[in-house]
Amino acid sequence: MQKNRLLSPYWKWVPAGFALAGVILFVFATFGPPASSSGFVATLKGAIEPLAPAYVEGKAHYRMSGGPSAWVFAFVLGMAIGGFVAGRTFSVPVRDIPEIWEKRFGSSRLKRYFATFAGGFIILFASRLAGGCTLGLFISGSTQLAVSGLYFGVLIFAFAMLTARIVYGNAGKEEK
Amino acid sequence: MTTQIWLGLLSGVAFGFVIQRAGATNANKMARAHLMIEADIPRFMLLAVVLSAIGLVGLQASGVGRTLIIPTSLAATGISGVLFGIGWGLCGYCPGTTWAAAGEGRMDAIFALLGGLAGTAVFAQVHETLIPLLYAPTNIGQITLADWFGSRLIGAAVLVVVFAVCIWGIGVLWERNGDAKTR
Repeated sequence: MQKNRLLSPYWKWVPAGFALAGVILFVFATFGPPASSSGFVATLKGAIEPLAPAYVEGKAHYRMSGGPSAWVFAFVLGMAIGGFVAGRTFSVPVRDIPEIWEKRFGSSRLKRYFATFAGGFIILFASRLAGGCTLGLFISGSTQLAVSGLYFGVLIFAFAMLTARIVYGNAGKEEK
Repeated sequence: MTTQIWLGLLSGVAFGFVIQRAGATNANKMARAHLMIEADIPRFMLLAVVLSAIGLVGLQASGVGRTLIIPTSLAATGISGVLFGIGWGLCGYCPGTTWAAAGEGRMDAIFALLGGLAGTAVFAQVHETLIPLLYAPTNIGQITLADWFGSRLIGAAVLVVVFAVCIWGIGVLWERNGDAKTR
């Protein structure tokens, strides 16, 4: 284990935590609380508005959001670019199906993509109801000492851990 | 406006890069974190909050930056937390990591992103029904630990201590599990 650790190309949690806090504080100083689920709203608003301006105008959720010129859209687009750059300069090749998923459910792409589509649907629906996601509500909120962020954080960790147990069963235990 | 776009883009690039390096865009590592095998991602997240909370006290003391407290709605925030946890445990991505993981070239993350857009569209459609039904009646306002403990500094200190204990506890529990059961 010790050897694996030393060879891992991933950053350890302490330097990674310092790096992320630096980015978060930069965002607080130059914009405000960082958020990513609102980036989905801005993306959709930008996509739908030219096609159905009356619909977008009539919906409170789009009215309260910026469009593609909003900070949040630039931020999520930047995250994709940052992920791209990081992936291209990394020694571990990406997989379309995680190892643990393949071990549990086999190598069917259809099954995995269906599950991530469903998971993505649920997390964004929930985030929009709560007003934020892991970043916009839990991380940004807790940083500002908001009770909403702490309440949301306890629940998302508890239910994600419970769900992962149900989804993966013993698949995690056999893994090397 | 233009400045905000460039600042957002720059912040996003840095954020996406860091979360990839921390392993948060890797759904395999995220699942192992949820299964209490690998402790790095949760400790990384909580440490980032601790340092950001301390830094934000400094920013506010020097009058820099903007804050926005999201209200606590007992029903809406609670139901969302449960649903979000189920979705996160199922796919291993959260809204932010889908963008970075999709950029990294993970096809399953692209489907998570598409699912996320669909979920957002459906919520936007039912916003006028669900917000008055679930959010508004149990909305107890923009409360913070500063309100509970009487001062921003004490609130921040409590948060730092509680999170530090959680980081320590995660290290003990997760690594013990991981060592005993998988290695």
